[in-house]
Amino acid sequence: MEGKKLVDHEEKKLGDFIKSKLNRKLTLLFIIVAVVAPSSAVYYFYQISINLSENTTLQTTLMLQSIVIVIITLIAIDAGVIGYFVSRSISRPIKNLYEATKKIEQGEYDIKLDIKTGDEIQRLAEAFNKTTKVLSSLEKERQELDTAKTDFLSITSHELRSPMTPMKAQLQMLHQGYFGKLNKKQSESINIIARNADRLDNIIVDFLEISRIEAARLKFNFRKTDLIETVKNTVKFMDGFAKEKNINLVISLEKIPVIEVDPDRISQVLRNLINNAIKFSEENSKIEIASQQKNNHIEFSVKDYGCGLSYENQIRVFEPFYQVESASRRKHGGTGLGLAICRGIVESQKGKIWVESKEGKGSKFFFTIPLEPVRDIKPIRILFSRKTSIERKLKEEFKTMLGPLGINEFEELKKQNSLDEIKLIDYIEDLKINYIITDEIGEQFKNSIYEIYNDKKGVINDKKYTSETKVEDEVIKRN
Amino acid sequence: MPKKILVVDDEPDIRESVKMILQKNGYEVITAEDGDQCLETVKKVTPDLILLDIMMPGTPVSEVVKQIKDIKIAFMSVVRISDARKKGLTNQDNIVDFFQKPFNVTDLIDRVELILS
Repeated sequence: MEGKKLVDHEEKKLGDFIKSKLNRKLTLLFIIVAVVAPSSAVYYFYQISINLSENTTLQTTLMLQSIVIVIITLIAIDAGVIGYFVSRSISRPIKNLYEATKKIEQGEYDIKLDIKTGDEIQRLAEAFNKTTKVLSSLEKERQELDTAKTDFLSITSHELRSPMTPMKAQLQMLHQGYFGKLNKKQSESINIIARNADRLDNIIVDFLEISRIEAARLKFNFRKTDLIETVKNTVKFMDGFAKEKNINLVISLEKIPVIEVDPDRISQVLRNLINNAIKFSEENSKIEIASQQKNNHIEFSVKDYGCGLSYENQIRVFEPFYQVESASRRKHGGTGLGLAICRGIVESQKGKIWVESKEGKGSKFFFTIPLEPVRDIKPIRILFSRKTSIERKLKEEFKTMLGPLGINEFEELKKQNSLDEIKLIDYIEDLKINYIITDEIGEQFKNSIYEIYNDKKGVINDKKYTSETKVEDEVIKRN
Repeated sequence: MPKKILVVDDEPDIRESVKMILQKNGYEVITAEDGDQCLETVKKVTPDLILLDIMMPGTPVSEVVKQIKDIKIAFMSVVRISDARKKGLTNQDNIVDFFQKPFNVTDLIDRVELILS
């Protein structure tokens, strides 16, 4: 068995050997050098020997000729064999180095190269190992910072919430006349305080939810659910709010299978979307809520006929604290975290959430959830999400590459929703073709785009959180 | 004879607030600062209901509730009920309710009344 394995291995090695361009080049070089030099020498001697003996017979000439051919062939074979070994000794460590670099690219930092060639390649490998070690410790530090951020968020939110309890209790007691009847001014004052205490509490609750999503601590209670019932109940619940603006909530439901899902989470997302739709709809309008099965997921949608969203806002509404115009913020209240939380919930289940909208015509929000529940919850970055940082970096890059015009170009592309990697590369190609930028700058520009998009820092400490090692979600008490 | 309620919370302001609300609504209120004090108190007096915070210094509440078998207990906590359930805190028969902090005053009174009726 052992022997066979070894042979297989060797065969595979030979195949790999031929595949390697470096090997082919080196071996060929060896053969050429080893053939050209000796053969010219041999040929020279051959000529001399013919010229020296004037009366050479045809037979001796032929014999000499065949000897020459045999010698050259032998040298060629010899050179080929030596070339094979020499080039293998060079190409193998290089291949190892290449594979190790690939692994680092994928975020695997615990690799160590063991190359003992005693030459520059070994020195390169040693330097590589050192760099990997530094990278690995930086990565660890980053993960720790990330965890610290999430923990900080969770702890401060809990700590902020504790004083809310007596504060709200006392305010309610005042309001309900526990300590005597209030005059009109006092009552108004208490109302304002109570309303803002509620708002503050809502923000804290949202922060807690975000800290849960970011730490993969979001809880899903999966159970067999008829989602049609869930949608109907949610709409019924929201109907009261819609009635205040005389908005009609219309449901159109296709038959969807009973699946294992957390109905409360679905309802939470739907409530949020319907709530937004109500906020941004005119009085006496309607909102359409639909759900249908599409391949291996279920798609929900909430459509309103309100003010709609500009291109820019369509991307940014899912960012935390991003609220369309400050005027509407004041008018509509809310924490600005609702849609970011929706995104967190949906993406925790490997679903998607997006919006289609036309300014002045209305918006349609979609989200999907898979037919099979995702039990292994991964952390999702919400605060300081990658999207914002990518956009910032892109804008910076446009400025450096194209000067002040770059910012206009960037904003234009953003409006057209063309900020993804492929579209940007196409865009740079166009610039090159139209001689707006030189090939060199174009290549540089492209490289920075690749770098921005493939920045591994965007993946947060994925491996650290498994369902077993989750920290319990609880208040930390100071004793 | 007014019903007697024991309020256990390590935060004085919460203790005081809950006490004020309950007294105003005709209940007799005694207080304790933590689980250990709670256990001491129930040795001397028998309240009709214990309002018990979950996260407190000293003996963990999960241990405290195991030693109280025949008095009604309602939790009052910032911890969510799903988390409390997960820790097996709600498994005992004498655990009758769960108040999420921050609580609503009217809701608190209504539910306490229902428990003690």
